[in-house]
Amino acid sequence: MFGRLTIEAFQHDMIEYMADVSMLLGAVLVIGLLTYLKRWKWLWTEWLTTVDHKKIGIMYIIFSTLMLLKGLVDAAMMRAQQMMAVGQSMGYLEPDHYQQIFTAHGVTMIFFVGMGYMFGIINYMLPLQIGARDVAFPYLNNLSFWLFVSGGLFIITSLVIGEYAGTGWSCYPPLSGIKYNPGVGVDYWLWSVQISGAGTMLSGINFLVTILKMRCPGMTLMKMPVFVWSVLATVILVIFAFPILTATAAMLTTDRLLDTKIFTEDFGGSPMMYINLFWAWGHPEVYILILPAFGIFSEVVPVFSQKRLFGYTSMVWAILAITFLAFVVWLHHFFTMGAGANVNAFFGIMTMIIALPTGVKVFNWLFTMFRGKIKFTTPMYWFLGFVVTFTLGGMAGVLMAIPGADFQVHNSLFLIAHFHFVIIGGVVFGFFAGYSYWFPKIFGFTLNEKLGKYAFWFWLIGFLMAFTPLYLLGFMGATRRLDHYNVPGWQPLFIVAGIGAALVLVGVGFQMLQLLVSIKDRKQNADLTGDPWNGRNLEWSTSSPPPFYNFAFTPHVHSRDPFWVAKKGKQIEEKRAYHPLHMPKNTGTGFYIGALSFVFGFALVWYMFWLALLSAVGMVAFSLARLFEKEHEYYVPAAEVAKIEMGRSE
Amino acid sequence: MKLAKINAQEGYPDTHHDLHSKTVFGFWVYLVTDFVLFGTFFATFAVLHNNTYGGPGAAQLFKLPFALVQTLLLLTAAFVSGLGGAAAHRKHKGATIAFFALTMVLGIVFMGMELNEFSRLIKAGHGWEKSAFLSIFFTLVGTHGIHVLFAILWVIALLIPVIKEGITAESLRRLTCLRMFWQFLNIIWVFIFTFVYFMGDY
Amino acid sequence: MLDRHHGWNVSYKPAILGFIFSLILIAAMYRFAIHHHLSGVAFSWAIFGLGTTTALVQLVFFLHVGMESKPHWNVITFAFTVLVIAIVIGGSIWIMNNLDYNLMPMSH
Repeated sequence: MFGRLTIEAFQHDMIEYMADVSMLLGAVLVIGLLTYLKRWKWLWTEWLTTVDHKKIGIMYIIFSTLMLLKGLVDAAMMRAQQMMAVGQSMGYLEPDHYQQIFTAHGVTMIFFVGMGYMFGIINYMLPLQIGARDVAFPYLNNLSFWLFVSGGLFIITSLVIGEYAGTGWSCYPPLSGIKYNPGVGVDYWLWSVQISGAGTMLSGINFLVTILKMRCPGMTLMKMPVFVWSVLATVILVIFAFPILTATAAMLTTDRLLDTKIFTEDFGGSPMMYINLFWAWGHPEVYILILPAFGIFSEVVPVFSQKRLFGYTSMVWAILAITFLAFVVWLHHFFTMGAGANVNAFFGIMTMIIALPTGVKVFNWLFTMFRGKIKFTTPMYWFLGFVVTFTLGGMAGVLMAIPGADFQVHNSLFLIAHFHFVIIGGVVFGFFAGYSYWFPKIFGFTLNEKLGKYAFWFWLIGFLMAFTPLYLLGFMGATRRLDHYNVPGWQPLFIVAGIGAALVLVGVGFQMLQLLVSIKDRKQNADLTGDPWNGRNLEWSTSSPPPFYNFAFTPHVHSRDPFWVAKKGKQIEEKRAYHPLHMPKNTGTGFYIGALSFVFGFALVWYMFWLALLSAVGMVAFSLARLFEKEHEYYVPAAEVAKIEMGRSE
Repeated sequence: MKLAKINAQEGYPDTHHDLHSKTVFGFWVYLVTDFVLFGTFFATFAVLHNNTYGGPGAAQLFKLPFALVQTLLLLTAAFVSGLGGAAAHRKHKGATIAFFALTMVLGIVFMGMELNEFSRLIKAGHGWEKSAFLSIFFTLVGTHGIHVLFAILWVIALLIPVIKEGITAESLRRLTCLRMFWQFLNIIWVFIFTFVYFMGDY
Repeated sequence: MLDRHHGWNVSYKPAILGFIFSLILIAAMYRFAIHHHLSGVAFSWAIFGLGTTTALVQLVFFLHVGMESKPHWNVITFAFTVLVIAIVIGGSIWIMNNLDYNLMPMSH
């Protein structure tokens, strides 16, 4: 009845027990607070069942922040281990445990922090920037979020029940096959990736239809904000790349559960085909991560240079070029796998070419700043930090694009340094820029600038200290995923890296402090106009926060930067009669299907096949129930709209 | 309706047409992801189809006449679903139900044949665990079969409200998606019988 | 509102035409396969050509790709789909075949 789930699954080492206890305490705290404040009904009706893209965006960001904290703990543990585990000392972590940590760190950061943060911001800002009231399929949006959470919960659960994969985040067979890893770890990996992947694909479809079909009148493609273009490119990548991952993970699943021989090393299988397919998805994935961040910078830089974005058309072409090229470079992740010079040369050249449109974008941002009146706000700091770190990381990438050079540094710490420079410098700094830029819009009050800047400096200096030594270590021969090494000369560099990591954690501390202080001071720092930064795009035309329906009247635009233009033109709003608004209803179906998806995956991990079948039937049943539901929408009475809009005027 | 007038003044497109167009396009994009999913399975088939591990290959295992009958069944199902879609647009309730019901029946016969072939192979000792070729064959064709199963269930789920309430804007929207799904499955099957059954030994 | 797309959706003709064309193409494929008129590479290309044509016929006559009113998002997304699938399948075949490049010759 419990499959292969026994009491052993709950037995861990001391460090894991500490993690379990602290998570449990956190959960108890939250549950206690909700009960004490009598907020369970509120939580359900206002948040968990919401189809409002704004609230869903906030929930993505909250969940991703929790996953970020977990990922940072993983990182700190790795740094600590590598500071001490040289020569005779084996450090404090068992190799088996260390392997789970670096695997979980990768999956957590890429899927549940990077993608979560970007999708959170996209969810909130996309409809506002195109003048829409919501995304194309609000219910699907809610469902996507819960599938995403379900995926993330597998990683969390593996800390308490069972173990996680120790294969690295890319989970290569034959190691990840049933023969060498019969335990539950890889299965947890498979279901976290597969279920959250389904959520991501549905979001991709949702946002694509939103952009192509729901732009307000007058907003042609070439008048869209560049952030929207970057989202369009991102979802194109999601739609065409994620199915590759779905199929590949499915084949690894059948290899493990049904004894198929697709990626096995015997019976004619080909583990190398897994690597090939994984990266055919994996490369577009990194562009899925970075393009929204580029989009955020395209919003931040013009506003704080008080100058319109330089080179709109070239920006769009650069985004489209990156989108296409993203599909023809994937072999650079396995130059050393054995393909000949022709194949390696082709992919190496393509990889170098893809650096060009990215360079165009960086130059365009810099040209936007040139002769602008720069306001050095926290978002602008994050942008400048990005320019430094991302450029360094990108150059390391171009170095590795040369197959001959890559043979020396493949899977070394040089590679690790490269991708952390571009992901943290690009995606994470991009998120922080977006967070500090759009926070007043989302919550109605500005963040404390001073603390934000302290956070930035600790992050930047800490990051550079933590990862620059890794470039050097890579050249010195240090490979990735080492839980112990024998070269004493490496240790000082690992110690510097460890100190850097500690500084980053101080930076995170400042961000938490900033949030608390800003909440405390929210009345003084309230954003009453809806436009604290003198913004350019439509989201700034709403109140802060926007009403749940976004716009009482659908905007009509005639140019780029429509809000800026409207402000300059001092358009007089003709008095129009408010009318009822058609809005979607909240629903619990997405939450239930998401919950059942978690049960489904969990059941398959532990071979409780009866439970898997039951939850699968349950998911189908809820989907059918949704199909048979009569009223998905309701009308907001004109009087209510009028009241909210009137309440906005001073 | 008064709301339509207000919408027209505001320059909104008509709500129902708008929703139809969004939903149908959204479903098309979902089909695109399904195309890429199958594309990945086809890529794996292309790479692994000769890896029979000493066992039999496509030429030895597959009976072309059988595959032809399956092909014709699915083609007819897709054709009839197209007729069903057109009937739904014309609001012909009876014709719509008849066409989609026929689609479903043809789909069930198709699935029956497929299960028959699978069990024949397994009983003869050619289960998926025997070689990479057999694994990818069962995976590719099996995934298609699972999709057909969902399509069959979906016909039942959609015809129930049509029988009860006739063709509404909502059921038209959903029947259109269902029709697209059957036709998509037929196209995938074209590639399956081309590359797996007909060209199998290449 | 009776644009080309609505016309294609309401009429039974496209489905019927698509059905007939598909039957012809499939019959041709079957004859080639059973009667072995061609062999080797020529056979492969014939089957591949007929199969792809069948798929195309069905895309147009059944799925109405290209028949909607502007902008032709259906066609654009489908063209990109074909491109990505061609890259993934073609690229995989090229890469995986090439992995033997550095192997020493084996005696089987």
